[in-house]
Amino acid sequence: MTETIVAARGLTKIFDADGQPVHALRGVDLEIREGEFLALVGPSGSGKTTFLNLVGALDVPTSGELTVLGSQVGELSKRARALLRQHSIGFVFQAYNLIPVLTALENVEFVLELQGMGPERRARALAVLEELGLADLAHRRPSRLSGGQQQRVAVARAVAARPRLVLADEPTANLDGENAEILMHLMRDLRERHGMTFVFSTHDARVVAHAVRVVTLVDGRVARDEQKPGEAPHPILPGIGKPPEQVA
Amino acid sequence: MAWVAGRYALRSVGRNLRRTALSVVGIGIGCALALFMESLNRGRDELFARMGAYSGAGHLRVVPEGWRARRDPRLRLADGRGAREAAASLPGVAAVTVRARAQALLAMGTHVLPVEIVGVDPQNEPRTYRFVQKMQGGRYLRPGERGSAVIGKAAAERLLVDLEDEVVATAVGPGGRIESMMLRIVGIVATGSEEIDAGICQVTLQDVERLSGLSGPGEVTVILEDWRAADAARALLAPRVARGDEVLTWGEIAPEFQGHLEQDKATSRFVSALILLIVLLGVASAQLAAVLERRREFAVLSALGMSAGRMVRLVFQEALALGVAGGALGLALGLPLVWRLARAGLDFRKYMGSSYAFQGVVIEPVIYGDLGVWIVPYVLVVAVGATVAASLYPALFAARTDPATALRVAQ
Repeated sequence: MTETIVAARGLTKIFDADGQPVHALRGVDLEIREGEFLALVGPSGSGKTTFLNLVGALDVPTSGELTVLGSQVGELSKRARALLRQHSIGFVFQAYNLIPVLTALENVEFVLELQGMGPERRARALAVLEELGLADLAHRRPSRLSGGQQQRVAVARAVAARPRLVLADEPTANLDGENAEILMHLMRDLRERHGMTFVFSTHDARVVAHAVRVVTLVDGRVARDEQKPGEAPHPILPGIGKPPEQVA
Repeated sequence: MAWVAGRYALRSVGRNLRRTALSVVGIGIGCALALFMESLNRGRDELFARMGAYSGAGHLRVVPEGWRARRDPRLRLADGRGAREAAASLPGVAAVTVRARAQALLAMGTHVLPVEIVGVDPQNEPRTYRFVQKMQGGRYLRPGERGSAVIGKAAAERLLVDLEDEVVATAVGPGGRIESMMLRIVGIVATGSEEIDAGICQVTLQDVERLSGLSGPGEVTVILEDWRAADAARALLAPRVARGDEVLTWGEIAPEFQGHLEQDKATSRFVSALILLIVLLGVASAQLAAVLERRREFAVLSALGMSAGRMVRLVFQEALALGVAGGALGLALGLPLVWRLARAGLDFRKYMGSSYAFQGVVIEPVIYGDLGVWIVPYVLVVAVGATVAASLYPALFAARTDPATALRVAQ
């Protein structure tokens, strides 16, 4: 039996929009077990990003309970939440959000530096980029990378510190079909090899097809929770591990 | 291997080159102006201290206890000889002299002038009193000379006397006894201040002893090689003077003069602070704009686990880079200004004439700036300090970035 790493009970989040309360989440009950590859789907405004932000300890719930990796998110201080993110959670954003003045290698290295890793962080960052087939692009800045390459660097940054939980908010939204496929295979491969848990939100049906579990949110509530029975990990695509120009 | 955070900060400074250049120019100009003001302040401090000291006050003076409050010229030292020897043995002493004073009337025919006759040691007095180094006419007193006087130009004019003329000096001795003596004018000095010239009358110490009926010196005046060492020298000298005598610094001897100097310094420093405040606000505005532009980036950094403290440090590192660049520019701009100020000086003759006197001190009208190795650390401290201070609010703003909100807005 795998460990539950995220447990939400009656999770609600209400935002204030010009004095008007906006209910982004209305009592979500959800458990996520270690090693899952979970897709959050639902229409815009259904609460996917809000849920990811709460699970990522970027925000705190209005009410309800949320336990992430053994910590009650609502009870953590700002600093404790930063430490939780730093050591246990990786993020992949829709808009890549790489630091534009740092090279691909430095972007990955920076996360390891934040964790307090010593000089070996450079070799570790390079190894992660190599694992994702980005070694040749290590010294390029984001502006000299394609969208697909940037998102793979973002994945490298998210997984470099070997977090137990990786959260991805619409990671393929800015990618074409081919790059979206490559990215999903990459994430599944990382999950298989390192046992990381991936939770990602998406609108893309092709991306959903890769998920092992699909949770549908509608109006801030869990409308459906599907587990694909007997789902086997996808094989690694032939392009993975090759120089990125050949696969991007 | 440099930290990535350091490289990140450094490269971030170069993101918006136009803004960075404007900030650096602003800091540079501010630093150059502050450097100019500081050089002027230091030069003026030194000039005033020198003027005060060489106008007779000395850097240190051993006086009888009670003199400071009463300024009574009849007071004499408990042990003048001991005080002189103790002062001469101090490290960093350039000159030591003794003096005794007496209130007297100088008369020539029907012309009478009240003066404070100063009995001096002719050998050492010119080393402590600059106006007798260069006589307007005649010569200075000689050691052991009796019945001779050097008077100020204005005093000579008021008494209608000239060199080799004789005047009668009359003073009241102890017990109300009137003492008179003839003094032959052997030299005339001109300080540039009529007010001061009118009160100058120097004779040998022995003549004042005779005229006043009081023996021994009333003060030992000390000139130091470095005027800034006055307090330290006083601390060394004070325990070595006899009971009944005390050591004063030039500021205590001429408190009004020192007060005037402090007031001037405060005004100059206020102007410097104002310049820096304007620069600081400009830099703060530019830094805040830079932080606001990168709000999403700070949200990402926060999501990656960067603590608020590290974010503050990151913005400070950027400010440090700006400050160092601004300081270097400030040095490049300020150095020629300070060089010119140190060589040619700032000439106030147009506003105050060839010289003016304040509280018995003749002030030279040209102030030369101070130029020394201090300018490098000064500029760096001012530039980096002001820039880091200016970055405090932007840094706190960055540290308070709410990642969820910032990322939601960005999307």
